[in-house]
Amino acid sequence: MKIGDLAELATRNLREAILRNSLTTLGISVGVASLVALLSLGVGLQQLVDRSVAKAGLFDIVSVRSRQSAPFGQPGGGRRNPRDAVDVAPPRPLDDAARKEIAGLPNVLEVNPEIRFTAEARVEPVSQLVMVSGMAPSSESSGTLDGLNGHFFSNADAREAIVQGDLAKRLVDVGKAPASLLGQEITLRFAQRQALPPPSDAAPGDPPNRAVGPDEEAMGFSIVPTEKKFRVVGVTPASDSGSGQVGFNNAGIYLPLAVAEKLEVVQQGDLRDISRAAPASGTRYAALNVRVTSPNAVAQIESSVTRMGFTTFSLIDVTRNLRTFFAIFDMFLGIFGSLALAVASLGIINTLVMAILERRREIGVLKALGAADRDVRRLFFAEAGVMGLAGGLFGVLLGWAIGRAIQVATMIYLKRQGVNAPNIWTVPWWLVAGAIVFSVVVSLASGIYPASRAAKLDPVEALRYE
Amino acid sequence: MNVPDPAASSNGFGIRTERVSRSYKMGETIIRAVNEISLDVRKGEFLALLGASGSGKSTLLNLMAGLDRPSSGSIVAMGRDLAGMSGEELAMHRSRTVGMIFQSFQLLPRMTLQENVELPLRLAEVPRMERPTRVQEALASVGLAGRIRHRPSELSGGEQQRGAIARALINRPMILLADEPTGNLDSKTGEEIMGLIAQIHRPSSGEGRTIVMVTHERALAERYADRIVTLSDGGISREERLR
Repeated sequence: MKIGDLAELATRNLREAILRNSLTTLGISVGVASLVALLSLGVGLQQLVDRSVAKAGLFDIVSVRSRQSAPFGQPGGGRRNPRDAVDVAPPRPLDDAARKEIAGLPNVLEVNPEIRFTAEARVEPVSQLVMVSGMAPSSESSGTLDGLNGHFFSNADAREAIVQGDLAKRLVDVGKAPASLLGQEITLRFAQRQALPPPSDAAPGDPPNRAVGPDEEAMGFSIVPTEKKFRVVGVTPASDSGSGQVGFNNAGIYLPLAVAEKLEVVQQGDLRDISRAAPASGTRYAALNVRVTSPNAVAQIESSVTRMGFTTFSLIDVTRNLRTFFAIFDMFLGIFGSLALAVASLGIINTLVMAILERRREIGVLKALGAADRDVRRLFFAEAGVMGLAGGLFGVLLGWAIGRAIQVATMIYLKRQGVNAPNIWTVPWWLVAGAIVFSVVVSLASGIYPASRAAKLDPVEALRYE
Repeated sequence: MNVPDPAASSNGFGIRTERVSRSYKMGETIIRAVNEISLDVRKGEFLALLGASGSGKSTLLNLMAGLDRPSSGSIVAMGRDLAGMSGEELAMHRSRTVGMIFQSFQLLPRMTLQENVELPLRLAEVPRMERPTRVQEALASVGLAGRIRHRPSELSGGEQQRGAIARALINRPMILLADEPTGNLDSKTGEEIMGLIAQIHRPSSGEGRTIVMVTHERALAERYADRIVTLSDGGISREERLR
C-alpha cells in the first residue's frame, strides 16, 4: 500500500474511535508539553546567563598578565596555567615589545592595556569611592553598553566619563533619575605617579637614593594625589542585581582608554615592577586585554600567549563549565519531561491493542483482499505515527502556553519583590522540531508491539471473529 | 514481483490440488480438516463444493485462496504452487489471482460502498486516478451504481453481497471463490445472487471466470455448477459432473 493510502486509512480509522484516540493523543500532548515547558525554561535560563556574559563582552577577550606578577607566598603566586605547554618560554616583562608581539598574532583584533584604579568620585556634595577603568573605542560596538543613556565618548582624547547606572543613582540627589547626571562635571581624585628627577638633579639637602640603580631610574616615581574633572556623557542602565558593575573591567566609571593611560595613575603591580631588576622595553603594563576575532579563537590565542611566557585568563574556561552544568540540567529536565511522554506511550499501546481486538475482522478482510502482513503492520504504525504527530503539534502549543504562563507568573512575582524580571523562557525552533520528532518516534516505538501483533493475525481466524 | 503468465503455465487448470491436507492440533488430538484431497478445477469451470458442516469445504476454499497454508500436498493456482509462495506472494495471489466473497458479506461497516470496493485497488497500488472509474464500473455491473455513497448498514443483504462481489472482482481476478454466498439471504435474493455469479462465470461477452463455490444448497449447486464435489470428513466422498 502506498504512503498516501496508508495515511488516509490511518486518519480515517482514528476518526472512527474519535473519543478514545483523542484522549490518547491528548496524553501524548501533555507529555510533549511537559517536555517543551521544562526544556524551554532550561534553555531560557542558559540563554539568560549567556546573554549576561556576552553583554559584558567577555567571550572574545583574553586577559594577559606577566607571569612575574604574582609572587610566591600570595594566592596564585608562581601558579602555572594547566594548559601551559612544555615549551613555555621563561617569564618576561609585559612591555611594549610584548604588546607588539601579541598584536601580531593571527586572529587578534586589538591589544589594549588594562587601566584600573581606585578613585574618589565627587559630584557636589556627594562623593563615592569607585573603581575607574579605561574603555577602548571598540567597546562602543561590542554590546557592552547596550541601553546606554547619552552617548559614547565623542573622541579618544575627550575628557568625558560614562557612569554605571547604580553609581549614578548614588551620586544624584534623592528622587532624581540617574540620567540627570548627564552633562554634569564629575571630579575624580586619584593617586598619580610623578617621575623622580635623576639623582644629579636632587637638591643638595636630599638624602641619596641608594636603592635606585641605573635601570630602575626611569621607573622611580613619587605618588601624589591629583584631581581631574570629566563631563558625564553616558549613564549605563542599572544592573539587574544592583551590583553596580558592568563590562569586562567591572568598573563604576569609564574613561576613554587613551585619556586613562595619560593620567599616569598608580596601578596594582607598580610597586612590584619597581622592585624587579628585569629590563623592559618602554612602558610596562599590569595587564593587557586582547580582543580576538571570535570566541572560537580564544583557546588558540591563549595557547600562543602562554608559550610567549605570560599567563592568560578568559571566561571561556568558566563558561565551559557553565555549559556543562546547563547540559546536565537540561538533560534532567528532559528526563522528567519525558516521563509523561513515556506514560502516554503506554496509552498508545493500550489504544492500538484495543483497536486490534475491535478490528480483528477488518484485519481478516484486509488480508483476504490482498493485504500482506507488512501492509497491516504499516497501517497500525501509521495510526501510531498520526497520533504522535498530532500529539506533538498540540503538545508544542500546550508547552508554549505553559512556559509563557510560568514566565508571566515569574515576572509578576519578581516585580512584586522589586527585582527586574528577566526573560527566563525561550522556545527555540530546534526544541519545537525536536519535540515533534521525538513524539512521533516515541509513538512509532509504542506502535511496534500492536502493529506486529496485528500483522501476525491469522486471517482465517480473524474472518470468523464475531 | 515477477509473476509468470498464468495462461502459459496452467495447462488448462484454474486450480489443481494434489494430496493436499490441512490438520490442526487441539490439545493432544490432531484434527485433519482436509485429508489428502486431489482435485482439478479447469479454467472457466464452475465447481460447487457440498458437504455437511465440518466436512472441510471452507478449509479447502481458504487453502485455494491462500488465506491458509496446507500441512502437506500442493495447490497450484493459475500455474503457481501456493505452498512454495512467501507471505508477500500469497498476498499478491489474493489480490490479483483470486477474489473472495463470504456468507456474511464482510463489507467494512465504517466505509461507504465506494470505499469498500476501492480497498483492493489501494492494496494493489492501483493509481489513484484510475480508481473512481473502476469502482463506478464494478458497482454498475452489479446494479449498485446509485448506492455508491451508502454504508453497508444502509443496504439490504442482497445489495451488500452484490457490493462484496463488486469488491471481489475489482482487481479482475481469474478465479472467484465463494464461501456460502447465499447463506445469509432469503431464497429470492439468493437466486438473484446466484444469477449474478452465473453471469460472472459465463458473461454475455468477454472471458468467463473459474468459480469455486462452497454451499449447503444442493438445488442451487445443481442449477448453476458444472460439477459438484461432495466432501465428507475432510475427503472427497462423491463427484458429479453436471455439464
